[in-house]
Amino acid sequence: MAKRQIAMVLDLNKCIGCQTCTIACKKLWNTDTGTGYAYWNNVETLPGAGYPKEWSGSGGRTSDGEVKRGQIPTLDGEYGRAWSFNHDKVFFRSGDGGEKKPWLRPDRKAQWGANWDEDLGAGEYPQENHYFYLPRLCNHCTHPACLDACPRAAIEKREEDGIVLVDQDRCNGYRFCVEACPYKKVYFDPQRQVTTKCIFCLPRVEEGVAPACARQCPGRLRFVGYLDDEEAPIWKLVHKYGVALPLHPEFGLEPNVYYVPPMSPEKLDSEGRPTGESRIPMDYLVSLFGSRVKDAVKILEDEREKRKSGNPSELMDLLIAYDWNESFALESNRKEVI
Amino acid sequence: MQQEIDLIAAPPALSPGGYVAKAYADRVQPATKNARVEVVRQGAAWRIALSWPCASPVLSLGDDVDTFVDAAAVLTSSKADTSWMTMGDNGDAVTGVFWRADQEALTGIHAEGLGTVDRLPPPDGVRATSEWKDDRWILQLDFDAWSQLDQQQQIAVAIWQGAERDRGGLKSVSPGWISVAA
Repeated sequence: MAKRQIAMVLDLNKCIGCQTCTIACKKLWNTDTGTGYAYWNNVETLPGAGYPKEWSGSGGRTSDGEVKRGQIPTLDGEYGRAWSFNHDKVFFRSGDGGEKKPWLRPDRKAQWGANWDEDLGAGEYPQENHYFYLPRLCNHCTHPACLDACPRAAIEKREEDGIVLVDQDRCNGYRFCVEACPYKKVYFDPQRQVTTKCIFCLPRVEEGVAPACARQCPGRLRFVGYLDDEEAPIWKLVHKYGVALPLHPEFGLEPNVYYVPPMSPEKLDSEGRPTGESRIPMDYLVSLFGSRVKDAVKILEDEREKRKSGNPSELMDLLIAYDWNESFALESNRKEVI
Repeated sequence: MQQEIDLIAAPPALSPGGYVAKAYADRVQPATKNARVEVVRQGAAWRIALSWPCASPVLSLGDDVDTFVDAAAVLTSSKADTSWMTMGDNGDAVTGVFWRADQEALTGIHAEGLGTVDRLPPPDGVRATSEWKDDRWILQLDFDAWSQLDQQQQIAVAIWQGAERDRGGLKSVSPGWISVAA
């Protein structure tokens, strides 16, 4: 058990799906040949199949706490194999192969990939169509399935901050960790034959700098800090107001990445009149965040109304993130080093 | 010495950590049912030929992320009664060599109990030749010398079938030590 636990809160009401976090992470940590498909951070459109496709729940634990055997996603299936385009033929060898005007096309049948189902969402337009974005990263779980799965003891949960790390010198590439993680946030590098995962930007955090995904987020939707720091936003959002919830708590791993659930406009009836019913079905949110999401949404609605009517709301002020630096509480002075 | 050995599945329950033992509790049959072992001693040198049936060889990972390669290990003990199933014990090592179908060089193995396997640089004076033919792997290991084997006169073998997703503790093993005494 870690002495302290670092955590992240993401306000899904502010995510615009710009993928800046994805690229910030990818460029910083995952440019090696074998990690082309590996996104320590990705942003999915929900409702949707996500990345890897239909990742949810392969591994983790049952509602009785029993270990569930998971699956390793495949490049030809759930991840999708990357393709390139016939630029050479189209732009430099006009007429090559008897085709006078060759079309630009993929060199293989593209079937899936990160962000494949972007902005599709669900629901009939214009009455009830809806979608929202879900940025995902390793949850640095309190009870990590990956750590439990490694027979080499190559995965460690750091005592000082609860960050979960792979020791690639010990890793033998068995991939039980990939299998066991129900969030599918451990990846295998077939070139180096070791697994890789989010390190919560450990070298930055140790210097009091927020992880790249949080630091680069244009929407200011990410908060970073320690769960026990009662002066900081993380504790207030998770414990004081209870509006930040873990993804799939039923997996039984106690994730330490939390989400402020998305609110949505009302559905319209056939005449275009608001029905009073949220476009994002509450049952769907419950399937993601558990039953506590009902209370969380109610609190958010109440606090928003309070603020709209001119009354103060600490919660709304926090979520607006007027002073962006206050979102990151990583040093004793709780100011990020710029 | 030449011998046909019926292999057993290494008990998943022995796998360290909380996952493999439970997730693979139903894996009680070995992916490789049997193997043929032939051991010849010539002075200080040892030649160990190991062959086993393999209908679908996996020779490399390629760029796939869900592929496992074929592999085998030959080990000896440091004592006559060293525990094989647990890969030795603290202060009571098993040592030997590990071969993978996608690597030319062998890897040295040293373990003193479950989860303690150290992979070492290729041992000096050991050469491996391998061939997949007629639905069988044939692996020949030539040791210029193996003093530990001189003393203990027993080996054990482990085989991983990549196509069956064998890796780590998911392997087919000899049920115990095999005497190589002439």
